[in-house]
Amino acid sequence: MVATANEGPQVLGIDAGGTMTDTFFVNRTGDFVVGKAQTTPDDESIGLLESSADALANWDMAVDDGFSSLRTGVYSGTAMLNRVVQRKGLECGLIVNAGMEDFHRMGRAIQCYLGYAYEDRIHLNTHRYDKPLVPRERTRGVVERIDMMGNVVIPLREYGARAAARELIALGVKGIAISLLHSYKNPTHERRVRDIVQEEIDAAGVQIPIFASADYYPMRKESHRTNTTILEAYAAEPSRQTLAKISTAFEKQGAQFDLRVMATHGGTISRKAKELARTVVSGPIGGVIGAKYLGEQLGYKNIVCSDIGGTSFDLALITKGDVTIRNDPDMARLVLSLPLVALDSVGAGAGSFVRLDPYTKAIHLGPDSAGYRVGVCWADSGIETVTISDCHLVLGYINPDNFLGGQVKLDRQRAVDAVREQLAEPLGLSVEDAAAGVIELLDSSLRDYMRSMVSAKGYSPASFTCFSYGGAGPVHCYGYTQGLGFEDVVVPAWAAGFSAFGCAAADFEYRYDKSLDINIAPDASEDQQTEAAHTLQSAWNELTENVLHEFEVNGFARDDVRLQPVFRMQYRGQLNDLEIESPIAEIDSAAGWQQLVDAFNAHYAEVYAASARSPELGYSVTSAVMRGLVEIPKPNIPKDPIAGKTPPAAAETGTRKFYRNKEWVDARLFHMESLEPGNHIVGPAVIESDATTFVVPKGMETWLDEHRLFHLRDVPA
Amino acid sequence: MTTQTKKVTPMQEDTAAGIVRGGETLKAHRDRILKATRDSGHYAGLTHCELRETQPIHYNKLFSRLRAGVVDARETAKKIAASPIVEQEGELCFSLYNAAGDCILTSTGIIIHVGTMGAAIKYMIENGWEEDPGVAAGDVFCNNDCLTGNVHPCDIHTIVPIFWEGELIGWVGGVTHVIDTGAVGPGSMTTGQVQRFGDGYQITCRKIGTNDKLHRDWLHESQRMVRTTRYWMLDERTRLAGCHMIRKQVEEIIADEGIDAYWAFAYEAIEHGRTGLQNRLRAMTIPGRYRQVGFVDVPYSHEDVRVPSDFAKVDSIMHTPSEIEIRRDGSWRLDFEGSSRWGWHTYNAHQVTFTSGIWVMMTQTLIPTELINDGAAYGTEFRLPKGTWMNPDDRRVAFAYAWHFLVSSWTSLWRGLSRAYFGRGFLEEVNAGNANTSNWLQGGGFNQYDEIHAVNSFESAAEGVGAMALRDGLNHAAAIWNPEGDMGDMEIWELAEPLIYLGRKVKTNSGGYGKYRGGCGYETLRMVWNAKDWTMFFMGNGHMVSDWGLMGGYPSAAGYRFAAHDTQLKQAIADGAELPLGGDRDPDQTAWDALLPDSARIKRDKQAITTEEMFSDYDLYLNYLRGGPGFGDPLERAPQAVADDVNGDYLLARFADSAYGVVLACDNDGHYTVNTAATERRREQIRQERLDRAQPTRDWMAGERDKILAKQGAEDHVKQMFASSFRLGPRFYEQFKTFWSLPEDWTLTEEELDRPSYGAHYAMDISELPDVHPVILVEE
Repeated sequence: MVATANEGPQVLGIDAGGTMTDTFFVNRTGDFVVGKAQTTPDDESIGLLESSADALANWDMAVDDGFSSLRTGVYSGTAMLNRVVQRKGLECGLIVNAGMEDFHRMGRAIQCYLGYAYEDRIHLNTHRYDKPLVPRERTRGVVERIDMMGNVVIPLREYGARAAARELIALGVKGIAISLLHSYKNPTHERRVRDIVQEEIDAAGVQIPIFASADYYPMRKESHRTNTTILEAYAAEPSRQTLAKISTAFEKQGAQFDLRVMATHGGTISRKAKELARTVVSGPIGGVIGAKYLGEQLGYKNIVCSDIGGTSFDLALITKGDVTIRNDPDMARLVLSLPLVALDSVGAGAGSFVRLDPYTKAIHLGPDSAGYRVGVCWADSGIETVTISDCHLVLGYINPDNFLGGQVKLDRQRAVDAVREQLAEPLGLSVEDAAAGVIELLDSSLRDYMRSMVSAKGYSPASFTCFSYGGAGPVHCYGYTQGLGFEDVVVPAWAAGFSAFGCAAADFEYRYDKSLDINIAPDASEDQQTEAAHTLQSAWNELTENVLHEFEVNGFARDDVRLQPVFRMQYRGQLNDLEIESPIAEIDSAAGWQQLVDAFNAHYAEVYAASARSPELGYSVTSAVMRGLVEIPKPNIPKDPIAGKTPPAAAETGTRKFYRNKEWVDARLFHMESLEPGNHIVGPAVIESDATTFVVPKGMETWLDEHRLFHLRDVPA
Repeated sequence: MTTQTKKVTPMQEDTAAGIVRGGETLKAHRDRILKATRDSGHYAGLTHCELRETQPIHYNKLFSRLRAGVVDARETAKKIAASPIVEQEGELCFSLYNAAGDCILTSTGIIIHVGTMGAAIKYMIENGWEEDPGVAAGDVFCNNDCLTGNVHPCDIHTIVPIFWEGELIGWVGGVTHVIDTGAVGPGSMTTGQVQRFGDGYQITCRKIGTNDKLHRDWLHESQRMVRTTRYWMLDERTRLAGCHMIRKQVEEIIADEGIDAYWAFAYEAIEHGRTGLQNRLRAMTIPGRYRQVGFVDVPYSHEDVRVPSDFAKVDSIMHTPSEIEIRRDGSWRLDFEGSSRWGWHTYNAHQVTFTSGIWVMMTQTLIPTELINDGAAYGTEFRLPKGTWMNPDDRRVAFAYAWHFLVSSWTSLWRGLSRAYFGRGFLEEVNAGNANTSNWLQGGGFNQYDEIHAVNSFESAAEGVGAMALRDGLNHAAAIWNPEGDMGDMEIWELAEPLIYLGRKVKTNSGGYGKYRGGCGYETLRMVWNAKDWTMFFMGNGHMVSDWGLMGGYPSAAGYRFAAHDTQLKQAIADGAELPLGGDRDPDQTAWDALLPDSARIKRDKQAITTEEMFSDYDLYLNYLRGGPGFGDPLERAPQAVADDVNGDYLLARFADSAYGVVLACDNDGHYTVNTAATERRREQIRQERLDRAQPTRDWMAGERDKILAKQGAEDHVKQMFASSFRLGPRFYEQFKTFWSLPEDWTLTEEELDRPSYGAHYAMDISELPDVHPVILVEE
């Protein structure tokens, strides 16, 4: 946005994607600027500084001027994930139970189709395994066994651990991960192996980091825990170097803050944090956290976050101000044990290919996509299959001359010809009806996806506000929200840089999890309930120490940290739990236990169905979680004076033919950045910015509020 | 598909007002749909599909919304379950049906039940459920009766009718594979019983709930009929919650899109599925007849198979010859003439199981599309001779592990289809066949929580996959009954089973040799721990490999069992002695046996089916999950791939030479490299040895014919298998005689063999019970 001279920027958010690096600077009054530059994978700091220069130029400010006043900066990026996907991590060693040396490479079978669409999941011959993160040749076994209750079945045979360590050291590994069965329950053997390995490393006079799963991710399910612990060695260590390099480059520009990184649990952690694998996915999380922050500031408690980029549609739910956390998600075709903000992805974005099934003529959207190559409409793209963007162009949704600010020129006729040949003629429809049909189909499937996310969990959309962002979110938000009855539909004027904004808004938060097995029968005595309470509290105490320790490393005193105890509970015997914020800060009695149970029962009915509640089975607490937060500076939300309802003449740039509901209309065109708070626009209209397009079809209207948020709604009858 | 009901009802409109939309009764509605299908050759007489043709976008929208609804319901509901079979292995499925009980679309999962739940709905329609006990909004029905078409008693169906404005517009069904159904032995697919009456608790389309609430008598009765009550309860809540989610989704869609569009969709989608299959067959195969055969062993004479009846204590073999006829128009017919008789064991299958289940295989290869519904069934003609193991003619038959025969029979269909794909150049679709999906580790007693318990490991969901025509089969990856394989985390199985893991390892040498080898299976070694009054047993193929190689590829390794009692491992652990760990890497070396005291009782043999055997803490049990078959001559395999297999422990070094003709050198680190020149010489030598062994086919056949005439050279169980095939398949009998140039009066009958043949002459079907109208969906 255009901004006036001001005091120096305060907050920096970074979203270093695979192709573009976005930066987001906010000053003390909440004004912000967004910068874009190409990502430079070999030295990410170069692209980052270029993107910063691009942003700060809006304030006529040099990079070093901008950096010297910054009080905080948050990084999110895809480098770590790409390192995993491309198997370009460090060569590590792995120590597991003797006899189980194969389990990591066997990928639990499930990893041969993770991430596949429905059709390929059932199409056996398409399944394949990725290479294991650690090959069998660098895996060693030690003789020991601990059972599910934590009892020793076979005592650790230490000489085996010593031999394993020596062999791995001799192989020149760059890190050693250790994961023994049930170590989350009883870590003594695993920690002893860790110490022996350390002794051997010291004796060999080398420096090799060790990662024992019980020290990092003490969660049940060895496939998940082991993968995650390996990631720490394999992929996170190189990221430490990258982040150190970026920090140094920033310091050279006069920066005086400690760079933090967006983590999967939705908080930020220091680049020096012990568990850096938690940052393996960060960009998409940023958007969710941005929405949560906006909600907190402006009073939206229940939010559906929707983000459409080139390849996917990501959805997340914020209920009563909280995001949902998944404990054993999969990412990059690996099962993991990271707490991850529940983000559902559909392989349908603006670049998704549109095809007809040759045998059934069913219309298929995605799951593969043209990505940055847009579609047939870009002559140089080499793309021959129609994409969603081609349909947009046919229908007048997007401006062929202003795609990415005019960097890419699109050819509408190419899109028309491709849609005619590939879709319209085989389906017996006109070109515009075929293209509109595809968009309708996409909108409808996204809408169902939203509906199932909200109402299938027992919520009503009427109590939710839908936030729409990402490059293509605002193009489709009318379509995927229509008829769902959301309380409000909001498009931030900085939709394209929203993830970077979210990073800047994230809390400085550590989260530690620990598996537990507290089982309480329905008719348990008060004593048993009290004992359960004590077990849970002692786990919370242990985790609290971990959290406080992390903050101490970053110079925060214990008193600065706000602690939130959390527990995961299920009906006894179930295999899936729900995560609940504890309604009480400490628990020491049967009465406290009852409060936890009540909170769980209420939540269970919301997520599944009241008829699925099974209190007669009793309850299990499967893990204790402790979250700790400290206050850090965050972007202020802009607040501009309200101008008139009529947009300034300079903001209106002309008209374009626009097709929807079987008719061509003239849509008014507006320049997004030139609109003023209070302006009111009735569709058909298209509001354009360099990196996003906001479509307001006939029958709908929008207005820009003082916080630079667009609100979309039906024109009142 | 030929559809008929046994007792023909006149095709006249019912005068009484029915519950189906428009006022028809369920029976009148189904009869009308069937007649229109028969008369026109198109499902429900839909010679053209108005909605799909004139409003393709609207049609696609309905499809994608409904499909997303059933898939989402499955994903959400399975989190309610406690059973790892459901929650980890995904052994559940939800399907949506039209008013006639034909499937419109389905979730992923155990897709075999698309047809079995449909058959239950059709059974209710044909047997007057509308009148009594009545079908109303909010009703809940339960079925797991194998005589209505269910696969085996452990697959429990929950079926809920869907009403709109007071009229029935369809049904939704949910199925889970439960861990125990109260059969004679613990576990879901038990071996000891030989008749239905020990096969487990069976429920025939019973109304178990009204107003969306389950009846108390049902809850009390059902929960005491099984061993694992908690799993049973939560599985039922999973099914019911999923059905209700889908019903709600359908109601919302109708509210948005209109009942007329939904109603049209509910029939057009099935015709669409039928034509989709036809187009696919036309595009991917070559018309013609494809013949293949499958076998598997039932070794019941062994002392470790404890059955109640003398007449069941015999060794026998399952036989399934099959012929796939693909016509130029893409229609096709599957004929199983020559199959052997059903038997006194639990491996029989109902005809609906067979015809419905086949789609769980076909969707992995021929029609891997979102459009999986009864259209494919209507597009396929089946012939299953009455009295065979896949269409038994007696109501005493047991079905608990129908899959033993199904997986062994269907692996041959992969070969037939693969020859067609190969001919059309779809090398990537070729698959040499599925593994035998065993072993099944099952048993029960008191577990580590001191509760009555049954275990049923589903590690078998990740067997080796058959080789393709351009790459190896995947290792430890899938099962024919569920392509989404998952071996589960050891830490989760140890929660569910009082059995400690001492090993989990790739099963070396288990994949069939070939130019492209079959995927290897894997094996896990379990030590009994914290169990009381505990039993376990084995279930799998042993003496025979049930899969075959393709085009010169070899079958996978056969099964065997390993268990050890009185192991004194407690002492060995305390002493720090070497322990049996990891895998039974080379069964010929019996390395584990050497670690156990002489007094240990070790069971190591080909007897891979047993019944309940007592186990104590520190006893051992090997769960060996099979490999898949290979493709192409092993002598054509890239020598480096063979070295990689040995280095990766997928192949024992000595078979590099004997099976592949690859000469390897081993360095000091134990790493193998190819000796190229020696390999070329060795392969040439093997080719020469093959030629030396060869004889003209005519000569070989003459020798074999002499043996057939003398009735020598085959054991009685082989003769009995053929005799039962000859009896049930007159055409097969004639073809056999012609092929071997046997005299016209040559016969082989069961009577001439010195072994019992109970069931060969006297049989009584459920159709002979009063007021029962079975649903028959095949030509018999």
